[in-house]
Amino acid sequence: MTAYLIRRLLYMVPIVIGVLLATFVLFKVVGGDISQQIAGKNADLETIAEVRHEYGFDKPLFAGLTPLAGDDWQAARQDYTAAIKNERQVRAESENRSVLPISAFDLDLKAQRKWLGDLFRQRLNAHQFGGALEMITLDSQFSDHFKHALTFNFGRALDREKISDKILLGVGPSLSLTIPMFIGTLVVSISMALLVAFLRGTVWDYTIVILCIIGLSIPYLSFIIFGQYFFAYKMDWFPIFYSPDKPMIHSIILPALIGIAAGLGGSLRFYRTVMLDEIRSDYVRTAFAKGLTTRKVLFKHVLKNAMIPIVTNVVLSIPFLVLGSLLLERFFGIPGIGYLMIEAINARDFFVLNALTFMMALLIAVFTLLTDICYAWVDPRVTFD
Amino acid sequence: MNRTVRTICLLLVGSLLPAGCSKKNGPVSNDKVFRYPLVAKVKSMDPGNVEDVYGALIASHICESLYTYHYLKRPYVIEPQLADGMPEISDDHLTYTIKIKKGVFYQDDSCFPDGKGRELKADDFVFAFKRIANIRYVSPNWGGFKDRIVGLDAFRDYTAQFKNEFEVDYSKEVEGLRALDDYTLVIKLVKPWPQLLDDLTNVVTAPVPKEAVDLYQKDMNYHPIGTGPYYLKKWNKAVYLELAKNPNFRKEYYPDQGAADDAAAGLLAASGKPLPFIDRIIFRIIEEEQPAWLLFLRGELDVMGIPKDNFSSAVDFGALRPTEAIRQRGIQLDIYDQPSLYYIGFNLLDPVLGKNKPLRQAISLGFDRKKFNELFYNDRWTIAHGLIDPEMNEYDPNLVEAGFSAYDPQQARRLITEAEKIQGGPIPELSIGTVGGDPFSRQIGQFVQRQIQAIGLKVKVEYVDWPTYVEQMNKGDMQVFAGGGVRFNAPDALGVLQMFATKFFAPLGNSFFYSNPEYDRLYDQAEVMFPGPARTELYRRMERMVLADYPAVLTNRRVQWTLRHGWVKNFKPHPFLYGYFKYMDVDSENQNSYKSRTKGLEKER
Repeated sequence: MTAYLIRRLLYMVPIVIGVLLATFVLFKVVGGDISQQIAGKNADLETIAEVRHEYGFDKPLFAGLTPLAGDDWQAARQDYTAAIKNERQVRAESENRSVLPISAFDLDLKAQRKWLGDLFRQRLNAHQFGGALEMITLDSQFSDHFKHALTFNFGRALDREKISDKILLGVGPSLSLTIPMFIGTLVVSISMALLVAFLRGTVWDYTIVILCIIGLSIPYLSFIIFGQYFFAYKMDWFPIFYSPDKPMIHSIILPALIGIAAGLGGSLRFYRTVMLDEIRSDYVRTAFAKGLTTRKVLFKHVLKNAMIPIVTNVVLSIPFLVLGSLLLERFFGIPGIGYLMIEAINARDFFVLNALTFMMALLIAVFTLLTDICYAWVDPRVTFD
Repeated sequence: MNRTVRTICLLLVGSLLPAGCSKKNGPVSNDKVFRYPLVAKVKSMDPGNVEDVYGALIASHICESLYTYHYLKRPYVIEPQLADGMPEISDDHLTYTIKIKKGVFYQDDSCFPDGKGRELKADDFVFAFKRIANIRYVSPNWGGFKDRIVGLDAFRDYTAQFKNEFEVDYSKEVEGLRALDDYTLVIKLVKPWPQLLDDLTNVVTAPVPKEAVDLYQKDMNYHPIGTGPYYLKKWNKAVYLELAKNPNFRKEYYPDQGAADDAAAGLLAASGKPLPFIDRIIFRIIEEEQPAWLLFLRGELDVMGIPKDNFSSAVDFGALRPTEAIRQRGIQLDIYDQPSLYYIGFNLLDPVLGKNKPLRQAISLGFDRKKFNELFYNDRWTIAHGLIDPEMNEYDPNLVEAGFSAYDPQQARRLITEAEKIQGGPIPELSIGTVGGDPFSRQIGQFVQRQIQAIGLKVKVEYVDWPTYVEQMNKGDMQVFAGGGVRFNAPDALGVLQMFATKFFAPLGNSFFYSNPEYDRLYDQAEVMFPGPARTELYRRMERMVLADYPAVLTNRRVQWTLRHGWVKNFKPHPFLYGYFKYMDVDSENQNSYKSRTKGLEKER
């Protein structure tokens, strides 16, 4: 068991590195430069350059070159500006325009890289290998990304609030919505699945299957819009939107019930199939032949033997509980992680998205391991050899 | 297992029951409460960092600036707020001496000794301005101060040597910013700044106590400390924000003068009464339209813009009033202009568009602004005929007839022939860049594409995310950009004219890369001119100069349609004044009885 656990934990290392690499490529390389967005509308070049510096966007992506103490960055900046001015003049004259836009040296990462590359080559040509090597830096955006993730210090979001605080504040509301939703869906769908599996082929079975398919076909959003309008507004049974004046429980009942109703179709169909597979087994027929009651057969034998797919489904769902429910949280104003994620997407806050993606990946890896451990717990035939 | 299942069921039902049984609203408080919806979260309430409308709205109720706009008077009048009178201005318009009111105290906060708010001093303004100049603070508002105040740009350079914003020594003198004593502030300018008083009404220029920055540092965004009528009581950043009356607020009274119709509208009934009237302001952040609309109908929000999908059920468009069903609830409709300008911009550095004025003109003539307005804004917004907004002093009413906003697809097609001659062949496929995150933006993109195709041009739309859009537009890499719009913060039109001056090339605002030496020369004159007929004439001349070059297809301007419950009193929208809730009042009795009065209306609908 211990060896198995250590082996599985070691497997997680490349997974975590892979996730870090994927999120980095997704948010930093593909996502575009957000420094102008952070600096604000009409910010000047200096401010944009300062934002780049503050957030480390001016560092190389993975590894790169950095100037040494004696290298005259200021002179390079002046040379660059002079060259651009000259080019601007030539182009302006040829195109009969007065001026053309320029980029400051601090902003023009390509120009900086070219200058550093030239310096590096000069050193190599002059056989100053020590100096050239000293220019190579691993202090990069990826190393920062790696450090932040492994220390769980994700820094500050675009609104300058600490990301870890945001996540910690959001977990409670998310779980208070998703846990009742999850347990409710699980209890109702497993009980009903056992029942319809037992009543297979009857009118009850067909009715429930049809209802499940209808439930599956209706978009999640329609459940929310209808539920909120009818039960909260028209019938006035529940609050329309979360208000901190009242305990959280008041605001989560309706979304939880909507979540249960919307999720019932899929899970009931799944568990029905699982139960049907079991209920057709020889041992069930034997149990009935021996005179066991229906309740005992279903709950003591069938349910126990159907535990492997149930455990897989249940344990792997747990990380998603932390993530909350994007739409329900948004429509009912529940300040959870789902809400945070939508807000981050709208604000293009890659720092928050990156932190949430990483946390999610980590949780999934851990819970996959837990699922495997649970297999051995529910099924004695499974061993860790 | 049986027992387990039973326990789970009991727990579940048990947890739901108490909440289900307590749907009533609980005891009704005697406080006057005003509830206002926000459709997006607040970015920052730290005055130096405020850049969005909601941040300005909330921060302006907590922090005050030297000057403000008179709530009721029209045309817009600036009056002192924290200043004790209007400034004393030197003959050369370069030195402003401003007296500060005595006896103005900050709200109580743990950043002050014993938690008691101290008196406002002139030094707090000096600190606030220097803080915006601090390059390590990365204020998005620095652009407004650049090259304006003697020595402030040098101070900014000085701050670059520090690793972070908190290491900077603010005692370093800035010649143009001095506190002569605790109640006298002197501002020396590099050149005349006719918009200075307008800018000093902005919450960005509000005083900041250094003690607060020292204590809260980077968390200042969430700890706005001011002298205003309210203080921040509670903030659940995702969904809820509450302001409460500041007990330290000085004595200030409701105005006794206003515009011509104000007395008849009952807006002077509260004259001379102490401000503020409302005890608590609750901002609820609701990004989805349905819950906000239902809360408003339920009387849990006091005012609300009208969601596009609910417009026809809420407003009788012909009569410009709420529908019968809405009026039954005692809800009123307010319609008012919000000075703004929306446009589809051309990148004039582009080799196809830059040299081809007939092509740009053809696209402008081929764009059906009326249809655009009907389709996307329920015909609520107005067509933009020029750059300068009708709410601004320099607005030119004759521009409507000038034809810069005309729709004439036949003439547009004729111009395409001319454009092809300049191009030396068929016009290559054009590319429009737009932000494509939501269906609405995509619908707009598709509409613009169809309009341009209808005049015989090939065009493709590229949907990009916001950072990419801004980056490409500012670098001049985007041929046409459909997503542009500005909202004006002051009644002076220089801000819109600035968008076409060469020295403000992107990222400073001129994303069109419009460059005209004659225009630049006139702009240099205009920016140091004080209001008067000569300046109005010059502004209008510059406006026509830009319009004649067609750097953009001007589309429309925002008109705000707001529904308001009858219990909200003293409401007079002001496009440039953000901290106006202190003038408003709420009839609590009417507010609290709304639910019982309208019982049954929900079921009837």
